[in-house]
Amino acid sequence: MKELLQYILDGLSIGSIYALIALGLVVIYRGTGHINFAQGEMALFSTLVTWWLHDKGVPLLLAIAISAALAFVGGALIDVGLMRPAGRRSAFAPVVVAIGLFQGLNSLSGLLFPKSGQGLPFPSLFPNKPKDFVSIFGAAWRIERIGVLAVVLVTTALLFVLFQKTKIGLAMRTVANDATSAKLVGVPTNRILMFSWALAAVIGAIGGALKAGIDTNVSIGSMFSVFLLSAAAATLGGLDSPGGAVIGGLSLGVIESLVGNYPHDWPASDWIGIKTKTVVAFLIILIVLLVRPSGLFGSSRVERV
Amino acid sequence: MTSTLRARQIRYGGSLHWILRAIVAAVLVVLVWRMVSGAVPSSLGKYTEAMALAIAALSLNLLFGFNGQISIGHSTFAGISAFFLGYSIRFWDNIAFVSLVEACVLCFLVGVVIGLPALRLKGPYLALVTLAIAYVWPTVARQFIERKVTAVTGESALTKFLVRPPSWTGLKNTRQDRALYLFWVALALMVLCYVVVRNLRTSRVGRSLVAVRDNETAAAVMGVNLARTKVLTFGVSAAMAGVSGWLIAAEIGTVDENSFTILTSIKYILALILGGAATLTGPIVGAFAYFFADDYLKRHAPHWNWLPGKFGDGPIASFLLGVLVIGFVFIAPQGIVGLCRRIGRNIATVVPEPIRGPTHEPANEPNNLPNNLPNNLGESTS
Repeated sequence: MKELLQYILDGLSIGSIYALIALGLVVIYRGTGHINFAQGEMALFSTLVTWWLHDKGVPLLLAIAISAALAFVGGALIDVGLMRPAGRRSAFAPVVVAIGLFQGLNSLSGLLFPKSGQGLPFPSLFPNKPKDFVSIFGAAWRIERIGVLAVVLVTTALLFVLFQKTKIGLAMRTVANDATSAKLVGVPTNRILMFSWALAAVIGAIGGALKAGIDTNVSIGSMFSVFLLSAAAATLGGLDSPGGAVIGGLSLGVIESLVGNYPHDWPASDWIGIKTKTVVAFLIILIVLLVRPSGLFGSSRVERV
Repeated sequence: MTSTLRARQIRYGGSLHWILRAIVAAVLVVLVWRMVSGAVPSSLGKYTEAMALAIAALSLNLLFGFNGQISIGHSTFAGISAFFLGYSIRFWDNIAFVSLVEACVLCFLVGVVIGLPALRLKGPYLALVTLAIAYVWPTVARQFIERKVTAVTGESALTKFLVRPPSWTGLKNTRQDRALYLFWVALALMVLCYVVVRNLRTSRVGRSLVAVRDNETAAAVMGVNLARTKVLTFGVSAAMAGVSGWLIAAEIGTVDENSFTILTSIKYILALILGGAATLTGPIVGAFAYFFADDYLKRHAPHWNWLPGKFGDGPIASFLLGVLVIGFVFIAPQGIVGLCRRIGRNIATVVPEPIRGPTHEPANEPNNLPNNLPNNLGESTS
C-alpha cells in the first residue's frame, strides 16, 4: 500500500511536467488550431541556455529566470517572424514550419552546445540526495518530487489566474473561441497570438529545467519523448482545454508509473512492465479517444455545411 | 501599359501536347539511363532509397493530400513490412516477392484497423493517435526482436536476409548485380504505385476521396460512404507504405527497432510537402529533392569552410535541412510542383478539349447561324 502511494506520487511528479508542457501546447492550439511540434525542442533550447548560464556561475534560479525571459522574446519572435507569415501562405504551412523548427532547433542545440549529444550534468532545483525524503503515511516521498509537483501546481495556478482573471486572458479566450469575431470586436488578435507563443516558450523553459533536474542531465534527445507524452496528455484531456491538459498530464504520469511498477507475479507481467509502460499508456489514450473523440474535456466542433 | 502576356494554350491530347509528353518521357528515360550506366552499388542504393521514399510519399499523398487524413504513423507500416520481409526470408525461407505481397496484405489489414478510429477522430486528434502508434512501434519491435530473433540466433537485429536477383534476369548474386536488380524493382514498384494513385485519383473513387476531404458532411449527403472510403483509403495507403518499407529493408539488408521511428514519418511528410501535396507527381519530385538535398548536405556541409569554425563538425547538415524546409514554405508553399505550375502557367497552359457532340457543336453547321447575331449579348447592349 505504501509502495502504491509512492508510485502515485512519482507519477504525479513526472506527470506534472507533462501537464506543464501540455499547457504550452494547449495555449498555442487554442490560438492557432495547430499542434506546435517544436514545443519540446523550444524547451530543450531554453534548458541548454539555462545550463550554459549556470555553468558560467549564475545561480540556478536566476539562470532559469533569464532563460525564461529569453524564451519569452524568442517565442514572440517565432510567431512574428515565422508562424504568422507562414499562416498567410497556406493552412498547412505552420505545421511544416513547426516541423522544420523542430529539426532546426534540435540541431542548433547540438551546434551551439557540442557536448549536449552525450548529455550535460544538470543540477536539481531541490535537494535530491538519497536521504532527502519525508515520510508520509509510511511512504517515502522524495523532497525533489514534491518540489517539482509544487512548482508545477503553482505555475498552473498562475496560468489559470491569467486565463480567467486578467484582460489578456479574456482576450486569449476570445481568440480561442472565434478569431474572426474577436478581431471584429477589437481584440488585437495578432498580439494575443504572439503572447501565446511567448507564453508557451516560457512554459517550455520552466518545464525543461524541471525535467532536466529530475534526470540530473540534459541531452539533445531528452525533450522529444517529453513532447510526445505531453502531446498525448493534451489530447487525452482535450486539446483546447487547459484543465484537461493538467488532468491528462497527471493521469498519464500516474498510469506510466503504475504500469512501470507492475508486480512481476501478477498475470501478464511478461507484457506489462517498465519496458512497455508507454505502450500501455498510449493504448489507454486510444481507447479514451475512441469513446470521446475530442478528449476528456475538449469541446467538439459543430460543422456547418 | 500592363504586360498582358497571354500564355499559349495547348490543347489536351493535341499534337503539341503529345510532343510535350514525348519530350518529358525522353528526359525521364535519359535520367534513368544516366542513373544506371556505370553506377556503383552505393549510388544505385541511394536511388533505390530515394524511390522508396517516393513510394512512402505517394502513399501519404493518397491519404493526406487527396483524402485529408493526416498520419504520422506511416513509418510503422513500413516497419511492419520491413520486419516481415526480414523475418520471413530468414526464418521461413520465403520468396522475396511472395513476402512483398503478404506484407502488403498485412499492412492493409493493420491499416484498416488503425483507420477505424479515424472515423471518429479529426485533424490533430488523428495526428496524435498516429503519432502514438509511431512512438509505440520501436518498443514493440524491440520486444519482437528479443523474443523471436535474439532468443533464436543471439543477434540484436534482423540481418542476413538478401533479396537475390532471380536467374531469368541474367544477373549474378554479386553486390553490384543485387543493387542493380533492386534499382529496377524499385523503379517498377514506384511506377506501379504512381499509376495506382493516378488511376484512383482520376476515377470515381478518387473524386469521392476529394469530396470527403473537402467536406465530409456534404460528401455523405451526396451518397459517398464515409466509413468505407476513409477506412479503405487508410488501408491502401498503409499497404503502399509497406511497399516502401519492404524496399528499404531489401536495400539495407538489416533492420532493427530504430530503422523506422517517428523521424522516418516526419521525413515522409517533409518529402510530400516539399514536392507538393495533392499533386500527382509532387511526392516523387519531393522525395528525390529531399533525399538528395539531405545527402548533399550530409556529405558537403561539414567541409564548407565559410561556415564558422566549430560548426563544421556538428549536425550542420540537419540544421541546414531544417532551415531549407522552413525557407521552402515561403518560397513555394504549394511545393516544387506547385511552383513549376505557377511558372509554367505564364508560358503555356494545357486546356481540355472542348466538349464535342452533335447538339452542342456549332462548328459542324456553321451556315445555320444568322450572321447578325451578336456573339456576346452583354457586349451589344452596352
